[in-house]
Amino acid sequence: MTLVKKISDIISKKSTIKAWYGLVIFFFICVIIVPTLFVLSYAVTGWNDIEGTIFTDPADPAQLNASFGMAGTNVSFHSWDIIDITQTTVLEANVLYTDLSGPYLLTFQVYEMNDDGTEKIYYEQSQGFTNGSDPGSFIIFSNDTYNSITHVGPVTQNITLATATGEYLDSWEADLYLRAGDRRPMDLIWDAMKISFVIATIVTIVDFIAGLPMAWLMVRKEFRGKKYLDILIDMPLAIPTAALGFSTALFWAVTPAIPGSGLGWTSSPFLLIILLHIVFSYPYMVRSLTAILHEIDINYETAAQTLGAPPLTVARTITLPLFRAGLVTGIILCFARSLSETGGTMAALAMLTPWLSELAVPMQTGPTLIGAWKHAGGFEPQLAFTAMLLVMVSLVLLVIVKIVIMKFKLPLRKVMPGPERLLSKGLFPKMKDLLAFVFMFVILIIPSFFIVSFLFTGTPTPVDWGSFWSAMGFSFLVAGVITVINILFGVPLAIYIVRGTNKTMSNILDVLVNVPLIVPTSALGVSLGMFWGSMNINVAIFLVISAHLAFTFPLIVRNVAGALEELDPTYEETARTLGARPMFVFKKVMYPSIKFSILAGAIMAFTRSLGETGATLSVVQNANTVPVYIVGLVKSASYYPAALACVVLIVITFITMMIMRYITKKAER
Amino acid sequence: MPDIKIENLKKVFGDLVAIDNLSLEVKDGEYLTILGPTGAGKTTLLRLIAGLTKQTSGSISINGERVDKLPPEERKVTFLSQSYSLFPHMNVWDNTIFGPIARGWEPEKVNIIGREMLEMVHLYDRKDAMPNELSGGMQQRNALARALCADAKILLLDEPLRALDARLRLDLRYELKKLVKDMGMTAIHVTHDQEEALTISDRIIMLKDGKVIQSDKPHDMFNKPASPFIHHFIGEANFVKGKITKKSNNDCQITDSIGRIYTAAKTSQEVGANAVAGIKTEFTVIEKEQKDQMNTFRGTVDRKLFLGRFTDFEIILTDGGIVHARLPSSIAHKFVEGSQVYVHYSPERLLVFPEPEKGLKAELEMM
Repeated sequence: MTLVKKISDIISKKSTIKAWYGLVIFFFICVIIVPTLFVLSYAVTGWNDIEGTIFTDPADPAQLNASFGMAGTNVSFHSWDIIDITQTTVLEANVLYTDLSGPYLLTFQVYEMNDDGTEKIYYEQSQGFTNGSDPGSFIIFSNDTYNSITHVGPVTQNITLATATGEYLDSWEADLYLRAGDRRPMDLIWDAMKISFVIATIVTIVDFIAGLPMAWLMVRKEFRGKKYLDILIDMPLAIPTAALGFSTALFWAVTPAIPGSGLGWTSSPFLLIILLHIVFSYPYMVRSLTAILHEIDINYETAAQTLGAPPLTVARTITLPLFRAGLVTGIILCFARSLSETGGTMAALAMLTPWLSELAVPMQTGPTLIGAWKHAGGFEPQLAFTAMLLVMVSLVLLVIVKIVIMKFKLPLRKVMPGPERLLSKGLFPKMKDLLAFVFMFVILIIPSFFIVSFLFTGTPTPVDWGSFWSAMGFSFLVAGVITVINILFGVPLAIYIVRGTNKTMSNILDVLVNVPLIVPTSALGVSLGMFWGSMNINVAIFLVISAHLAFTFPLIVRNVAGALEELDPTYEETARTLGARPMFVFKKVMYPSIKFSILAGAIMAFTRSLGETGATLSVVQNANTVPVYIVGLVKSASYYPAALACVVLIVITFITMMIMRYITKKAER
Repeated sequence: MPDIKIENLKKVFGDLVAIDNLSLEVKDGEYLTILGPTGAGKTTLLRLIAGLTKQTSGSISINGERVDKLPPEERKVTFLSQSYSLFPHMNVWDNTIFGPIARGWEPEKVNIIGREMLEMVHLYDRKDAMPNELSGGMQQRNALARALCADAKILLLDEPLRALDARLRLDLRYELKKLVKDMGMTAIHVTHDQEEALTISDRIIMLKDGKVIQSDKPHDMFNKPASPFIHHFIGEANFVKGKITKKSNNDCQITDSIGRIYTAAKTSQEVGANAVAGIKTEFTVIEKEQKDQMNTFRGTVDRKLFLGRFTDFEIILTDGGIVHARLPSSIAHKFVEGSQVYVHYSPERLLVFPEPEKGLKAELEMM
């Protein structure tokens, strides 16, 4: 008792509290913000390295040797080992040693092993060499070549060295370099950024157009089953994006490795990624719009209608201008989510072009390029540059959207009574509502859950439960640790932001807290990896935890800060004047009022961590969380185990989301 | 022995001086009301006494001990907001014993004192109720019991009746004062409702721009305001402006710019000084016929405003100027809009003040 009292005395001391706040702010700045933005320092230091010669520099043969595991007569490698940048790929070979002298033939083959042990060769090309001569090079791969063989199933690619008469050499050693024909890193980065940007823009626009009627429906109309629709809208958020990517691609896309599983409607990666990104960003748009729509007094609309304006005119001229703030939130969230998404995009792209190296897929977004390069290793300058671009783009975007939407005058003043009255009556509003429903079911719900049907219709293949559970264990360990740390540091930071006496400091922290939410997680991972790497900290689990901490930290701070803003400070002040020390006030007065928000924030952080791919992939080269594991399985076309892992993960996150709903509902009461 | 002693207290927020060199003593067991317009610094003063805000300079002592460096929990002063801040997630009992529990008292002692205090405010049988199940009066009693339990003999009330219905407000202010007195507490009550201040207080201090501009018993505050502002703030007043042209031991004479002569209450000012004189609207008499030559002016009823028990009149004087008068509604019907009336000021009610430095209009502004 006395010891407890002593400890609580120490904790309640003003100096202790100050020191704790100091530590929390230090943690936030030094462990979250600085590492997150560390990659920006690259703008100052590292420009020159981008056009590095990773593909072409013969001085670094380790690159290929490592991935080929070579030096032998028959070097077999899988297609995903090839560093192929989709265009024309060049193989350069420098034969260092053979046991024979004379000219040799270097042969590149793409073949499939038939069941009877014979080979079915799809592609073969050879080039002669003289021992010790300059390395010869020849084209081994092109898009056309690839497209002609993709639909047949797993292939093996083989490099052999043979004498001119066709005898294979038993022992030879060569350095092989693969080089993307005319694709330089800068072009790749540029293309990926452009595609990311275009996709994010299209997705945001579609989200807005489709989300607005839905938000309207949810707030202004009463109908049967509204409660369930409310749950359905959030559904895609309960599914880790890696699983969503898999499921969505399975539903929409032409999937060469498993033909006829879904609609097989598109083989365009661009279209597929847009469809995918709409699925997980749409709920954010609808939520942002409903939140603000709730705030807008319906009396304005009633007043306008009684003054003779048809509903469409009212919505356009009265309500829309009032909810710019919600629009800003919605746009930023959708855009940032689309710009940031890695795992689902990777999985979906891999579905379109199975067996192809992740570096070789025909389309890359910024985050998938980061993921692929990080996984391949050796692309540090390019990674840093891409991450830096993504961070800058997202930060600039945040500012621009805020300014533009708030200042920009929408052309809303003009009223067209005739057509608007017509569009407000009869079938049109019904059509609008119907379309909103159809959109949601066809674009969101069915593709999201298509994966479950695959479990029943697909052909079961053996599952490597060992690696599945180890990935599961790792994911839960990371999610658990970051949730605990988040609570320990996030709650005090939220208290400081809302109740702090130093208003300038609180405001700065308030803005900074949002940064990790906006920064694409794969860029964040690169940045954190660079930051800790610069201090020679390379422990994988530490890096993964620090990356997951960074992007989940704002979730808990935002939740708790929001609850605290609602809480009348006079309760705390009265408690103080009644003789309670700050710690006691927190425990007995503040905590009971914010505990649900802490819990909600914790669950959000936990599920986000469970579902995150980009940050994990980009912070360390090989970390096996469940989403990474799933993406890996999808890439190697092991669809059945991937689907199983997805469904397990979905069930777990779904249960936690349901708990969260229950808790927040309870808290509202 | 004074219970609370405040000396040269000053609080500055950026450029704003909220409390300006304020000194004040509050006696043990006194019910003091701080009255003042919005922005006068009333709440800031309470927060300074409670320790919720730190003063820029000056000192606060309680029972002869400096407390201005102590955190709120060590001052034994309880601060109650409009809603009494009963913790919504705790029942009556847990609210009541919050202070003792926070201070870590023995459980038996906590139980005894909690029960004692709740019985005192007749709430022991409701000890399991949640605050939102209590009536306004019960909440008030619970908050007081809680403050007493916390060993706080000083109660700081920040507009405690503001959130209540008009009717309940009237009932509860008597109950509040009675309880505070029964329990031997010292109370400082902040309000901007002058009627509330007049009925409830032992003493009122009038705060303006962070300064005490008058400290008096309610009756004196009403009848002997220290400035035109207070005269106007506590019950509206009509003012006249002029020079003192004659004075005696009982009264004086003021002549305004157009030569109207007023006989007003006695003043310490010299003959020839610029002065303003004011009379509360309640004491402004309206007559149908001129009964008296002195202090009587002809005018026309321009507007009548029915307030229930009272009716407010706006009268335009024939010689210029507007006068307000408040009459009981029972006699108000005698004067119809547009009719000619005579306005009469009784000299002892027409109080004389030196002309305010910034002019009368600026003086009367309520921020």
